[in-house]
Amino acid sequence: MKIGVPKALLNFYYGPFWETFFEELGMEVVLSEDTNKEIIDAGVRESVPEICVPIKIFIGHVLNLLEKDVDYVFIPRMVSINEGEIFCPKFMGLPDMIRHGLEGLEDKVLTCHIKSESDDISDYSNYLSIGNTLGISKEKIKKAAKVAGEHWKKFRNYNKNGYTALESYNLVYGKGKLKGRNNRKKGIKIGLLGYVYNVYDSFVNMDILNKLKELNVEFITFDMIDEDELRNNIDDMDKVLFWTFSNKLLGAGYKFFRDMEVDGVIHITAFGCGPDSFLGKLLEIESDETQIPFMTLRIDEHTGENHLQTRIEAFVDMLKRKKLKAI
Amino acid sequence: MKISFPYMGTVVIYKKLLELLGHEVIVPPRPSQKTIDLGVKHSPEFACFPFKVIMGSYIEACEMGADTIVTSGGHGPCRAGFYGEIHKRVLKNLGYDTEVIIIDSFNRNRKKVMENIMKLKGNNSWLKLSKAVKFTYDMIQEIDKFDKKIREIKPYEVKPGSVDRAWEKIQKEFDNAYSKRELKKAVKRSNEIINSLEISRIDERDRIRIGIVGEIYVVMESSINMEIEKVLGELGCEVERGHYLSEWVDFNLVPSFLKKSHEEEIIKKGEKYIEIIIGGHAKQTVGGIVDFKDRGFDGIIHLMPFACLPELVTQSIIPKISKEHDIPILSLSIDEQTGKANNLTRIEAFIDLIRNKKLNKYSA
Ligand code: SF4
Ligand code: SF4
Repeated sequence: MKIGVPKALLNFYYGPFWETFFEELGMEVVLSEDTNKEIIDAGVRESVPEICVPIKIFIGHVLNLLEKDVDYVFIPRMVSINEGEIFCPKFMGLPDMIRHGLEGLEDKVLTCHIKSESDDISDYSNYLSIGNTLGISKEKIKKAAKVAGEHWKKFRNYNKNGYTALESYNLVYGKGKLKGRNNRKKGIKIGLLGYVYNVYDSFVNMDILNKLKELNVEFITFDMIDEDELRNNIDDMDKVLFWTFSNKLLGAGYKFFRDMEVDGVIHITAFGCGPDSFLGKLLEIESDETQIPFMTLRIDEHTGENHLQTRIEAFVDMLKRKKLKAI
Repeated sequence: MKISFPYMGTVVIYKKLLELLGHEVIVPPRPSQKTIDLGVKHSPEFACFPFKVIMGSYIEACEMGADTIVTSGGHGPCRAGFYGEIHKRVLKNLGYDTEVIIIDSFNRNRKKVMENIMKLKGNNSWLKLSKAVKFTYDMIQEIDKFDKKIREIKPYEVKPGSVDRAWEKIQKEFDNAYSKRELKKAVKRSNEIINSLEISRIDERDRIRIGIVGEIYVVMESSINMEIEKVLGELGCEVERGHYLSEWVDFNLVPSFLKKSHEEEIIKKGEKYIEIIIGGHAKQTVGGIVDFKDRGFDGIIHLMPFACLPELVTQSIIPKISKEHDIPILSLSIDEQTGKANNLTRIEAFIDLIRNKKLNKYSA
């Protein structure tokens, strides 16, 4: 049986888990192609106009998988991975939206509720409904979830050791090579904030990671930081946000600003993102207070025509000048 | 303490409760273009529209001397749950020394909720507090009954505008009631006001009934939804909303073993389309559509703030619900930039469509 897995949204975080899980169940895993113009165009065509770009892209990936004749498309319902917090409404309603909003998907959505107390989502009970749909025994589900969980932890360990999620993905599959010891360059360092699907989808963000490398800029993303540390940084707030990944970004942002370990912070956000409207405001306030420069890059569906790259160059130039002056 | 609150729907109610507790109440002006402009200017660009309107309204209240603002922390967890926190920071930035009291859901932070309730309770006895709450509760139930009644008869008024004026009068009646006896009298007077209206009845077949569903703020607050209920009334339609304050209270504040709320049933009806509560009122929206259809309504208008997270999920599913339940649905999003004229044209066209559909049905 062919299970399609969209390479979008949280696949940049949980992909190694989900792929391994289905492989362990003896399924053929079919991944959608890397985001490209056709995928975006198809997604835009089939979405309600006001919805955020990442969801449009996700829809494009689902359609891409349909073309590949998969039996099911895997669309988990992300509910909670931290007590008292939830996911952005669009994640929680994602299977509904795809099932009832797109033609030909009514019986093709393979879904399950994901609820967990931490980022580790390997508790097999999350996946029993998949077993029901596919006619697979509880034992098998249990075993597959366990193997997948271990695989995912390896991936996260690389990630938390300073590799990007993309590098970690390759490493955990035995591709790519380890970096030498990271000797702190004298250049500048940037805190790069954004959801995994904005930071790691190189097509939509105009390959910002490589751009930064070209410019000789070191960067750190939220996923490279330990979950507990992210949490510690927002512990003193009266009330945190409702959405876990937004809170992770906020924790990372507060750390960047307060530890003074970066020269500047870039927030990559997507057009139409609701949670980021508040997150951005909180970061702005923090930037004003700490005087660490902050820039928001907004990605939209008309990539290629925008000026992300020039804006990054200008920002980096400014940081470099600022640093020179300080010395 | 000079207390104010966010402006939404029949504000008489919040005012009453706070007054009964002996507070000096500042009722912010009904949101106007100026309110919106102020709010937009001082809100994050991509904040939701209700956030911006309320922001503007708070600033106006502060200008009028409010030193305290009470608000709810928002339930169906969405951005609204964080409104207060950002509003607070913006007000502080603008130099207003206003305390923002956010009453959160009890389950989230019991201690804090109690602390805040104590602030509002002040020196009143618990008995007085509970009496005040009970009184306002009864009052909301009554007012909402009239609110519904008004929208039912509006299309059939003989003298244009007479029903709207009656509604104004009724609200005043309630505004003047401070005791149980006076409340009873207000109800009686309001009934008289309604009965004295000249209404022309039409054939059952020609009735057009429209349900309004969507995000609570834009559905309830007429000043920012183009007074859609009035507009529809003038187009000859009876209207009922998916949100009434009384129902919100029943659902959110009254423990379910005391009273099974109507909203719970509605939510059930939406299960097929949206399985779990995803935040905001998306599930109520889909359930509401099915419920209105079950009750014989002819069409639905779905209102949402521009780019509203949960309602975009709803919007994506609407074509299918419309088809499966054979009910026309018009989805409109509202913000500071949406042209009113354009929306009004769409509403008119929509009603025409429904009227024709109905005509065809009966002539065929
Ligand atoms: S968090 Fe923002 S970008 Fe992500 S799905 Fe929600 S609205 Fe879209
Ligand atoms: S339901 Fe819509 S309007 Fe309300 S907080 Fe959420 S996004 Fe904003």
